Amino acid sequence: MRAASSLAGGEATDLLKAVAEQLKVPLTIIARQAELSQLVDNAHHGDWAAMHAQASTALTLVDSYLLGLELAREQAALELEPVSIPSVLTMVAHDLYHLARQNGVELEVQVEGKYGPVMAHKAGLRAALVSLGYGMIEANSERNVYRRLTLAAHRTPHGIVAGIYGPHAALETQEWRTALKLYGRVSQPLTSLSSGSGAGLFVADAILRSMSTQLRVGRHQKETGLATTLHPSQQMTFV
Amino acid sequence: MKRILLIEPNTSLARLYQHMLTREGYEVSHATGAQAGIDAADKASPDVVILELQLPRHSGIEFLHEFRSYAEWWEVPVIVNTAIPPSKLEPAQDALKADLGVRTILYKPRATLALLSQAVNEQLLSS
Repeated sequence: MRAASSLAGGEATDLLKAVAEQLKVPLTIIARQAELSQLVDNAHHGDWAAMHAQASTALTLVDSYLLGLELAREQAALELEPVSIPSVLTMVAHDLYHLARQNGVELEVQVEGKYGPVMAHKAGLRAALVSLGYGMIEANSERNVYRRLTLAAHRTPHGIVAGIYGPHAALETQEWRTALKLYGRVSQPLTSLSSGSGAGLFVADAILRSMSTQLRVGRHQKETGLATTLHPSQQMTFV
Repeated sequence: MKRILLIEPNTSLARLYQHMLTREGYEVSHATGAQAGIDAADKASPDVVILELQLPRHSGIEFLHEFRSYAEWWEVPVIVNTAIPPSKLEPAQDALKADLGVRTILYKPRATLALLSQAVNEQLLSS
């Protein structure tokens, strides 16, 4: 399985970082053009709104990748802070709202039980969950099943598990592990979930690894998805 | 009509900002660099400046130092709208605001046209 350092090292990564930075320019122009056109072209408002949502989401994915890279490179200095999971899940649902709507996917936030904050890099955790959501929405919208995703958190003996789950066919742990070895090398590393590259899922995993955690296959109620385990803030526990 | 000076090196983005702000009833002049920005400010006497910090040759910071060195522009509100990520600029935010009179900082690509327009309206209302 790949370690966080593989994301941070090498000339290829530097080149990809430069490409990612450059990609933001045309994507920003497309997003702003679509935003302006929504205001002035009523006849095609829906089309421009769809383009706006797609370009904005692509920008978010590129930004998440760059943040993941930054976090991986500055791992030693990574400042973790107490973070409220319900608050992060709500922000993530807000970030994903337009894309989900464009894809006809309904988002639901479910936080079971009461618990204190977890230790995490807040911006990193948010970016990871948004990237994961991007991948899951893309996968979910390809299927003719009930289009719904649940952003959920629950407590386990190992910590707080936060993830995104859907009513798609059960994802197996081995499939996910294989996909983590294949991404970037094959065009469809996780065919049971996505017909594309599934980039959002792997960007999310890379960001989480830089925070010393990772994405795993998880279950919430009767749904399967990908989730991460976060450790409660000890400081807050003592208080 | 209120005048806005837009200093933005990307002409495609600048055209979109110009379109939006003109639609809102502002007169917009555009420059792609720091020196051209000073020249444009001289001609246009702007009520608000929108500034990208990443400029060719001389940076937006250099523009700000020169701009603020003229007494007639001390009070002109400056809105920074930059592609520099928040994690890189946040440590310098206080200095930009206190020493160079930057009123608002917006970050591309998240700063929408609506947000930029709102920031301009707020600055003109408060000045």
